[in-house]
Amino acid sequence: MDGQSVQSGPRQVQVVFTTNFPDIELPEGKRQLLVPTDVRRYQLSQILNSESMLDTPAPIPFDFLVNGTFLRTTIDEYLTAHGLSSETTLSLQYVRSLIPPLYEASFEHDDWVSCVDVLSENSSARSWSSSGLVPGSERILSGSYDGLLRVWNKSGQVIATSSSAGAGGHTASIKSARYISSTKVASAGMDRTIRVWKYTESEDHFSGQLKPALELYGHKGYIHSIDVHGPSNLILSASQDDKIGIWTSAVSSAPEAPSSLLPSALTSKRRKLSTSTSTPQRGPLSLISAHTAPVQAVIFNPLDPTVAYSCGQDHTIRTFDLVTSRNVDTRTTSHPLFSIAALPGISTQLIAAGTSARHITLLDPRVSARTTQVMTLRGHTNLVSSIAPDPSSSYGLVSGSHDGTCRIWDLRSTRQGTKEEGGGVVGDAVYVIEREWTKGKKAVGGEGVKVFGVNWDVELGIVSAGEDKRVQINRGRGITEPGNA
Amino acid sequence: MAPPTIVRKRKAITRDISEISDVESEAEFGDGLLEGILSQSEESEQDSAEESEEEDEDEDEDEDEEDDVGDVQDLSGLDSDEIPSEEDESEIQFQKSTLGKSNGTKAERSILTTTLPTAEDEDKPNYTVTTDANGGVRYVYDEIDPVYDSDDSDAPLTTNTIGNIPLSFYESYPHIGYDINGKKIMRPAKGEALDALLDSIDIPKGWTGLTDPTTGKPLNLSQEELEILRRIQTNELPEDGYDPYPATIEYFTGFEEIMPLSAAPEPKRRFLPSKHEAKRVMKIVRAIREGRILPYMPLEEREEDKEEQTHYDIWRDEQPRPDHIMNIPAPKALPPGYDLSYNPPPEYLPTKAEKQTWESTDPEDREKEYLPTTYDALRKVPGYDKFVKERFERSLDLYLAPRVRKNRLNIDPASLLPKLPRPEELKPFPTACSTLFRGHEGRVRSLALDPSGTWLASGGDDGTVRIWEASTGRQLWSSKVGDDEAVDVVRWRPGREAVILSAAAGDDIYLIVPPIQDPETEKKSQDVLDAGFGYATNATQTLTASGIRKEPVARWARPGSRLEEEGVLLKVSVRSTVKVISWHRRGDFFSTVSPTAQRSAVAIHTLSKHLTQIPFRRLPGIPQAVQFHPSRPLFFVATQRTIRSYDLQKQELVKIIQPGARWISSFDVHPGGDNLIVGSYDRRLLWHDLDLSARPYKTLRFHSKAIRAVKFHKGGFPLFADASDDGSLQIFHGKVVGDMMENATIVPVKVLKGHKVRSALGVMDVDWHPKEPWCASAGADGTCRMWM
Repeated sequence: MDGQSVQSGPRQVQVVFTTNFPDIELPEGKRQLLVPTDVRRYQLSQILNSESMLDTPAPIPFDFLVNGTFLRTTIDEYLTAHGLSSETTLSLQYVRSLIPPLYEASFEHDDWVSCVDVLSENSSARSWSSSGLVPGSERILSGSYDGLLRVWNKSGQVIATSSSAGAGGHTASIKSARYISSTKVASAGMDRTIRVWKYTESEDHFSGQLKPALELYGHKGYIHSIDVHGPSNLILSASQDDKIGIWTSAVSSAPEAPSSLLPSALTSKRRKLSTSTSTPQRGPLSLISAHTAPVQAVIFNPLDPTVAYSCGQDHTIRTFDLVTSRNVDTRTTSHPLFSIAALPGISTQLIAAGTSARHITLLDPRVSARTTQVMTLRGHTNLVSSIAPDPSSSYGLVSGSHDGTCRIWDLRSTRQGTKEEGGGVVGDAVYVIEREWTKGKKAVGGEGVKVFGVNWDVELGIVSAGEDKRVQINRGRGITEPGNA
Repeated sequence: MAPPTIVRKRKAITRDISEISDVESEAEFGDGLLEGILSQSEESEQDSAEESEEEDEDEDEDEDEEDDVGDVQDLSGLDSDEIPSEEDESEIQFQKSTLGKSNGTKAERSILTTTLPTAEDEDKPNYTVTTDANGGVRYVYDEIDPVYDSDDSDAPLTTNTIGNIPLSFYESYPHIGYDINGKKIMRPAKGEALDALLDSIDIPKGWTGLTDPTTGKPLNLSQEELEILRRIQTNELPEDGYDPYPATIEYFTGFEEIMPLSAAPEPKRRFLPSKHEAKRVMKIVRAIREGRILPYMPLEEREEDKEEQTHYDIWRDEQPRPDHIMNIPAPKALPPGYDLSYNPPPEYLPTKAEKQTWESTDPEDREKEYLPTTYDALRKVPGYDKFVKERFERSLDLYLAPRVRKNRLNIDPASLLPKLPRPEELKPFPTACSTLFRGHEGRVRSLALDPSGTWLASGGDDGTVRIWEASTGRQLWSSKVGDDEAVDVVRWRPGREAVILSAAAGDDIYLIVPPIQDPETEKKSQDVLDAGFGYATNATQTLTASGIRKEPVARWARPGSRLEEEGVLLKVSVRSTVKVISWHRRGDFFSTVSPTAQRSAVAIHTLSKHLTQIPFRRLPGIPQAVQFHPSRPLFFVATQRTIRSYDLQKQELVKIIQPGARWISSFDVHPGGDNLIVGSYDRRLLWHDLDLSARPYKTLRFHSKAIRAVKFHKGGFPLFADASDDGSLQIFHGKVVGDMMENATIVPVKVLKGHKVRSALGVMDVDWHPKEPWCASAGADGTCRMWM
């Protein structure tokens, strides 16, 4: 092998460079080139950046796609692996290179962190809020198992902490928290209530306040996840009691709370402590009991806020029409589902659901689509607890799992599944983010490393929260959509 | 037994031997030889019917003697009926030879030869000379007067004189021929039809199926003739008494005899070297010295010899022939492929990984003997480095290998194993540890998943009961119920309308409403527990009033304000340590086992009445575990060796199951209700089909240490698990088919390892998620684990 290449000199192959980005497109005459077959991605990138080709002021790292898959070897090896002759013309699509999600910071908490949300220039909450955001004042909202919400700034300082159980805060762990707008926050957790908070910040943006604005009662089990829609003031909740709640964050339009579920209904001395504040208490707009087992996650369809998707331990993904509070469609998979996210997808919208069987299932949610499963993303070693789409690309997503890793997936990097995996299209992770402090050590049963929540923001990057009592931030730009780097 | 046999045998005699001989023999034997008669009759019967032999042997005391006598009698009986049975053997031989000839004239001649000498002896000729029909001289001899010592006086031999005429000519006559005297030989009486039938069924010894032409009787072979036949068949000399290998008699030996045959001294030549030999040796030596004899063949000659060796090409004119074991076709070399080329196309070249695997594998196991290598020119191809080695091995092959092609039995050993579905096909089942619950100090003795699958309750040596969120491993609630006692068992009350946890520490059973639920359910749960307070006082009062029992078996009370605030609402104190709690499916009854309590070891508690009852006055052993039947009013009680099922309505014992284990640790009832699994401290896991038998249908012995707990999946998956002291859990697929004819299929699918063994204890308890194929285990290492 070596002898041959030394003896015969590098062979050459005809390549055609193409791209989907007009700003880095090559002029017509320069697209075809004869390159040696022993070059790799790096040399190809150098060739493209050279003066005779693109002549870019600063070199742009490129990645190359051949037939929809990334070129990870030399061209020679690729040709050999695919049984191609070196006489064929190879079409190389070049895109800006992916940048690994480098570790940036960790924010330490007192207890396990169950969820994170981000307020930034490009986040949905920002678009729903009336007032503009001061540049550089991105905020991270974290909900913790100690029952407290914390608002952090970019440099890791706590700007505001929610009030404790005695002063109208959550009486048990928080499981999910969301920005409704830059001044409004919703959270829910194991005390079966959803609380809406009013968030105010001082002039210097270094201190703030989270004041309870509304308590919503109605669920009889833990609330695992909530989703919010700012313009309609709607909150969706997924609960352990198999129900999905539709709530409003507007005090005036919310119905009365069911008295039997209020903490005052309990005669126990212990619970009387929490009834000292005068936060308004309200009930649900509607409770839908469609699932037959605990509902683990619910989301609004980002394209159509009257449609919601939910998934639960009864193995189903259900589509709801929120106007009529009706279950429109049910897709049954073969495993309990713990997390859900809506992806813009390549051609159509896709639903990604994380299962207890350590993989992510991608489905086409349209009623007309009858194929059950579009793709399976495999690689996690424990249940997938959280999924977030890449805000800047339609191909990327990040998932957090109880195995202590966040994995970044690119829907374009796929392969045919093996027989053990049950066939179908299978995707592998592009990058794996481990918890920074573990230094690659393996934890049995995800002890101390479980990731409970993950969020991906354009400005802040990949923000993940976990059992290690930390919110970890990894650089998130240009990982799957290099165009925005 | 004996008298009837004798009677039967007498009859047999009359059948075989004619009346005259019978009389004679009786006269001869006299009265004193009754024993002999018995044995004789036995022997004669042995001829006709051998089945009585065994009985005879039982009867007779002196077997050897009887056999000797029997042989003689046998022979006489066989030869002819007329011959008296007391005759010598030699005479019988003689008769046989005459019989064999079956020729009247010869018999006559023999008489002549015997009579002639007597004629010479006496003066008066005993014949008269007459003229015969041709005019020749004819001697007509007198009748011989048989004197006492005459040779043939004892042989009134009747010989048929009809000659070579087939006997069938006489079929229509009452006689079968004429004797020497011209008297008719009458046809012998045929046996009765039944005897003939019997003869045809039981073929007697020596039966030939032929009829003796001279006598008209069945021609049977005698014992002696049979013996001769046997010897001929076995290639022995037919003659009796011939010893082909006589012992050597050593006339000359190397030993010095005390009395030698010859007294001559040893000759001198024995001690002197032979001159003649020395002469001959010298002759050869001289010849070698002079070069007339060469010690080795000259070199050229040897080479010539070699060349002369002829080689045969056995495949010179090879014809295609069908495959046969003796046909070895000429070996054919495959045409060379691309990869054999000195410069193969790159796709034939091995990758680095392939190269490495090729190099790492044993030369014998390599798929190809060579590694495709590329050289840009033929002149760069090096010499073949394995030439000598290969030649040597080829020679070795030819030298050692057998020339016959071996047809080996090509049976895949895997195909002989029973057909079991592969574990992958039986998914889903738990495969990996998904959550670890750490917090207990010391062993976790028991754990239980609540009916909704949300919470995991555990109790351990540190006396605490803890509740965890099952999916994340977060501890939600904890209470120290046992001050210095370990929590032995925790079990949730079945049913989802109320959330109640029962735990036992020491003598006390605690009923807990953990504050982890919504106010409505919590209220309902509290009501369930408090409902019985009025009943409880009433019950104890009536009991004391009637005087049956002074002291109630159990005391139901509040556990004290500290525990009450934590959610522990009720305490049931019994008299000895409770080890097992088992709930009835409706959630109103639960049963506890305290193995150390003598009579009250098994107790059934009624939650709605705060009532404790002792169902068994006397138990057959130390109870180990109890279970309620999942659908019928049956109650299972396991003692150390047996499991008994009782009907609670009829109050009777229904079944005793004997698993054959030495010490049952735990058992579980299949949700279908017809099957049981039993775990035992002697490492066995036993599957019982209750309809099938009291013995186990299957015994599974895969653990190296005792099995502590066994559990069926109750939510629709055909799974069961066991927990062992060797630190592992084993998951089995156990499918029960509704069809009665089909047995349950049991396949071990997974061994879950992870728990550490602490002081010889591994996994203490196991429980299944109510819906999903997930299981949870409690370990002696202080952790609980959830397996998905």
